[in-house]
Amino acid sequence: MADEPDQQPDNIATEEEENQEKGELNEEQDGEKEIPEVTVTEELTEDAEALKNELNKIVVHPPSIDLSIPMKEFDQTEFPASYKENLPKENLVLQYAENFRRQYVHLYRDRKPLLLNPVNECGTEKFVCTTIRPTQLEFKELYNWEGAAEFVADYLNFETLEPPTELPRRLLSPTTILKRQKGNCFDYSTLLCSLLIGVGYDALVVNGYATRETCLADESREICPLMKKKEEVKEEVQKKEQKKYAVKAPKDLRSKFELKQDAKAKAEKEAEEEQRKKEAEEKAAELEKPPPDPLYGLRVHAWVLVLAGRREVPESFFIEPFTGLSHPVDSQNYLGIESVWNATNYWVNMQDCSDGVKGLSYDLGDCTRWEYMFPITEKPLLKIPDVEDDIGDLDDDEKGSERLNALHHDNTQLTFSEEEENEMDKNLDMPPSWVEPIKLSLRDFQMRCPQGKKTKLYKRAKLEKFAHYLMKDGLVSKLSMYDNRELTDLIMVREYFAHRVDKLCTKVHNHRSGWNTEFFDPGRHKCLKEHQFKASSPGPENDRIMLFYDEARVDGLVKRVECLTEMTEEYRNRDDYLYYKQVEFGKRTKKFGPQDGTGANNMRPIVKMVQKFNRNTKKSASEDIAELVFLVSEDKIQLTYHTEDPRIASSTREFLKPANWDEKGATLTFNPEMHQTFQVDPTSPMNKNVELYEMLLEMLKAEEKCRNEVRESEEEVREVLNERTKEETASELEISVYDTDRNEKAKKHRRELERLQLEERMRKQEMDIDYLAPFLAQMGNPDKITRQQAYQLKEDCLGDLKKRLIDKANLIQARFEKETQLLEKKQAWYQQNQVAMSKDDEEAYLDYCSEALFRIHILDLRLARHKEQAPHKYMQLEQRLRSEERLAEFF
Amino acid sequence: MSRLYDTVEPAVVDEDMLKRAVEEQGPKDEAGKIAKSEGIDFGDVLSLRLDFLNILKIDNLWEFTALTKLQLDNNIIEKIEGLDCLVNLVWLDLSFNNIEVIEGLNALTKLEDLTLYNNRIATLENMDTLLNLHVFSIGNNMLTELGNLLYLRRFKEMKTLNLAGNPFCKQNGYKQYVIAFLSGIDFLDYRLVDKQSREDAMEKHMIQREEMLHNEKQAELKQEEEVKNKQQLELHKAAYVELMDGPHLFEMMYVEDSEGQKLSEMPGIEDLLQTFKDKFVAICHQMFEYGLKEHEKRDSEVKQFWECVEDAKQENKNLGMHAINNFMVVKKRTMQELVQISDQKVLESVVADYNKQVSELWDKLMGLELQLVDQLEDVIKDFERSMQDLVASFQENIQAFLAQCRDLETFHHEKMMEIAIVTLEKVLKNELDDEINEDLRMLFVDKDTIMNAVSSSHDVHLLKIDNKEDDMVTRINHWLKTTIDKIHEDEEISRNRMRVTEINNLIDHLRDEIDNLEVLQAGNY
Repeated sequence: MADEPDQQPDNIATEEEENQEKGELNEEQDGEKEIPEVTVTEELTEDAEALKNELNKIVVHPPSIDLSIPMKEFDQTEFPASYKENLPKENLVLQYAENFRRQYVHLYRDRKPLLLNPVNECGTEKFVCTTIRPTQLEFKELYNWEGAAEFVADYLNFETLEPPTELPRRLLSPTTILKRQKGNCFDYSTLLCSLLIGVGYDALVVNGYATRETCLADESREICPLMKKKEEVKEEVQKKEQKKYAVKAPKDLRSKFELKQDAKAKAEKEAEEEQRKKEAEEKAAELEKPPPDPLYGLRVHAWVLVLAGRREVPESFFIEPFTGLSHPVDSQNYLGIESVWNATNYWVNMQDCSDGVKGLSYDLGDCTRWEYMFPITEKPLLKIPDVEDDIGDLDDDEKGSERLNALHHDNTQLTFSEEEENEMDKNLDMPPSWVEPIKLSLRDFQMRCPQGKKTKLYKRAKLEKFAHYLMKDGLVSKLSMYDNRELTDLIMVREYFAHRVDKLCTKVHNHRSGWNTEFFDPGRHKCLKEHQFKASSPGPENDRIMLFYDEARVDGLVKRVECLTEMTEEYRNRDDYLYYKQVEFGKRTKKFGPQDGTGANNMRPIVKMVQKFNRNTKKSASEDIAELVFLVSEDKIQLTYHTEDPRIASSTREFLKPANWDEKGATLTFNPEMHQTFQVDPTSPMNKNVELYEMLLEMLKAEEKCRNEVRESEEEVREVLNERTKEETASELEISVYDTDRNEKAKKHRRELERLQLEERMRKQEMDIDYLAPFLAQMGNPDKITRQQAYQLKEDCLGDLKKRLIDKANLIQARFEKETQLLEKKQAWYQQNQVAMSKDDEEAYLDYCSEALFRIHILDLRLARHKEQAPHKYMQLEQRLRSEERLAEFF
Repeated sequence: MSRLYDTVEPAVVDEDMLKRAVEEQGPKDEAGKIAKSEGIDFGDVLSLRLDFLNILKIDNLWEFTALTKLQLDNNIIEKIEGLDCLVNLVWLDLSFNNIEVIEGLNALTKLEDLTLYNNRIATLENMDTLLNLHVFSIGNNMLTELGNLLYLRRFKEMKTLNLAGNPFCKQNGYKQYVIAFLSGIDFLDYRLVDKQSREDAMEKHMIQREEMLHNEKQAELKQEEEVKNKQQLELHKAAYVELMDGPHLFEMMYVEDSEGQKLSEMPGIEDLLQTFKDKFVAICHQMFEYGLKEHEKRDSEVKQFWECVEDAKQENKNLGMHAINNFMVVKKRTMQELVQISDQKVLESVVADYNKQVSELWDKLMGLELQLVDQLEDVIKDFERSMQDLVASFQENIQAFLAQCRDLETFHHEKMMEIAIVTLEKVLKNELDDEINEDLRMLFVDKDTIMNAVSSSHDVHLLKIDNKEDDMVTRINHWLKTTIDKIHEDEEISRNRMRVTEINNLIDHLRDEIDNLEVLQAGNY
């Protein structure tokens, strides 16, 4: 600690200059004030007068500090008491912090103030450590730091610090930040830290300085993480062991000198090329460098430090909260560290940051490097925790920390003067967080970004993110790559999808070549894996490449490449050892002989078909066909067999198809001229004509089969394309059965269940109504019913029902009569005024009549029904009374 | 074929009958016509049916070497014979005949399906070689002994068995017996063996079954052991140190040495003999270890050699194939061109060009072959040299070991001599305490006799050692010679011949092709 911990030198320099200027100004001001007191001499020159006037013009106002932070944007009523008041313990801690701050400022005048107790959303001062609320949320994506950091970066919109060189005066609680979905770097870091500590990481908020690009979350000079190519693991080429009996290579008869000259020329050329490339790269890099930043090294920033140790983190690293990406601890983006804190303690950096954050040690227990605030030390201390004894042993160059250690003692003495010192050291711990528990609904979590959308700019790329299910076609992110930094020259657009019914996961559109590539997850109808085609000509029979999940296909198809005149298919793991099939098509308009007229007039005529087979070790090589060529247009079939082991040539065979081969049921004739062969082994016996004839028949069958397969393939392509067009227009999304929120069917089902339950309950309630209750009440609710009472009860009950039935009948009757009367009146009125009536009135009358008649008719029906049902109801009640439990003994 | 069934006139399997059958059962339609005009080779026929022909004696089938399926059912065959040539037979039907004994099937090792239904067989026997048997039908026969069925246990592949209609089927528990003791059978007497009946049967015959299985297991283990020992011995033999890991050589020295045996009874030489034996055996053991080590060395050397040779050949082959494939592409193009060209001059120039290309291909292939020949020659020479070195050092070391043996023997002989003289004196003075046996006493008559006896014993021993040495040395030299000769023969001469023939054949073919085409073309104009 010999050297005073100084920050960025220019930072301090500017500060000092400012101070000097201020001082000068003050002096001048003082001078001005003194002027009236001094007797104005005659010798006062005009110059002095001028100076005086000049100085009078200068009016210095004391800097007005607006201490009242607008709290208007928060509704104070919605916050609980812990937000507005401080507990005694919190007050104690604040006091402690204040004491720390005072002594810190006293000891290190040159250093910038620390962020210790900013106000919260209610304007209450809170200590920063208590603002961190370690929380574990129920989403498994947040269990790892990658997920948590990405979530925080996505979920919030960032605000810059105003001004960028000052610490914020307000620090919001993580809960409020989540609600607002907005925050500055300190808000981001506090929230991220809360989440990380909650899942067990040793995470700390770091307050320090960073580059402009980092502070403004400007990633336009970074390569988009999605575009970074995975490092290809190069397999070490095993050096070929020099075997004892390895044959010598044939003698090289070329001129050694010439070879040397050639190699030299080549090397020169390569070097030149390399040089040129390097220069071009350097030039490009120069162009891309950001313009110099006048505030370099002064921009305050906050980020997160994850220390090695817990959760199997092998090495400490930073997380940039704005981007959610990790950076190594010697990152160029960060220029200095003032302090770090977590939920339990606060440490001030005592190390030299003139060279950025490179070489900083994060051993928080090392008092010479990190000044702690509370002597509770979870971190392994280098020294023995009992500080008192150690002070004397400290070296002279550790005076700074020595003084601060003493300061801790002052502090504790100050607050706990009555208690014993040792005990106090151990007892002072952090009060619980004042922040409300962090809560996040599933829907909000899935929305990811504010309004579910976010756009990020990278170097020559633009990334748009969307929440799942937000876009109708299932789009979740869209990456556009450009050739220039102004993002005008589009090269390629890559779109990622999720939850699509058609299993589409990625779509790439290359604007340069005009090719579209679609990637699919397994599980599609035709096991399609990848589909490349020209955007300008998506129809069948055009250039395209299709890849398939061959394990899932019966025919083992891996790849199908198609263009106007050719189709190539590759297979894997087939029982018949076929691995390659190529078909050449002719022009449609031109007739190519009889094979054209097979009914498929719309099909392209086949000119040539080639099939290639792997070696079937069960057959002898001279009988195992390696290549089978059907020259359809020439009526020829060519066979090439596999090469036997020591041989280098392969046997071939050629058949000329008989003239009538495509006539159905015709007897095919054969003569030896239709067959040509070349046997590698001249001693092998010639095949007999019968065998050749049978082979020819077999080949004809194979050709037929192959042709059918080709047609099927074409059909399949058409089918797939049709399917794709349909899916593209429909673009349905799959909803998991467990997603109760989105699954409409499940919702409906649940509502139905609820309805049924309700009905059931109603019915039950109805059942519970005791129809005897009013009558029993009339008798004064006797405990025991006598015989007489029972009869009385029955009588009453039936009488009541009778009365009600009659009442009802009367009511219906009364309504019926009223309606009839009204109608009669109206009819009379109509007859009187019929002549003077307008057509509209007449219509209204007719309408009324028909309606009235309808009502009368209904009432009539009701009455009839009532009359019919009344005796039944009466009987029913009687029956019920008979079977009534309470009256059972009397009837 | 208008023979009546009741007139039992035995038919003879003659050429006419076979020809008729083959033609009838051969290819149909157009193929049949072609086949007829061409004639069918009996050697090519794969399946033959000779049923309802009243055949008494199987005969004249030796030409049908490729036959896989033969039906001889519904005849009056009395003896299975004349099938030894049909080694490829998979399917044999001899049902409804008059066979009494199973025999003559030993050559048919590929047989999978055998039907002997409705015959007069009383015992299951003589089928030891038919290990691939899947289906076996021996219903309606005269099998009486259930225990005889255990004979079928050796057919591990057998899944289907038909025994219905034999006398023992009437016995109680017949089915259970069969299921329990032939556990691999899935179908018995036309029916699937279900799980329940299998379990029942197993339970019933558990004890006998366990015992039998145990015995079989023991036998199997023993056999394995034997095989292992045999392999071990084989290995030792290949290392030329068989039986050296023990007192075998020492004992061998005394087997033909009657005097030595007698002398060993001499009092006071027991210890001497014992130390002699120990030392001798120790040397033998050293030799044994050395031999095995050397053998391993030689083996790895040979293996390395072959690997390299194969590599070289593979590389050369790839080059050759590449050249041919390249040429084939050119050829295809030329052929297409030729069809379109009508101008005679252009045609000629194209043909000339083609021929030039063919010559170039020939040059190239031949060059490659010559290169390979050179390379292999060098490598073989190297190999030969190092093998000779190895063998020579082996010989020297073995000789050194055996010299040690000889020294031991000489030393032993001297000691024997001393003891013999001392004993002789004692015998002559009658000072010998112990009784010695009569044969030995006969030797101690005078000094010459005993000296002769001891010397002859010594000579016999030396002879044995010499013999051993000779044997080892000649054998290893023989091996070296045959190996090297074979390599020269195979790798240098026949391989080269074959490749050259192949290349010439190919080139000839390519030239013919263009000539034929030209003829065609000329005909067209």
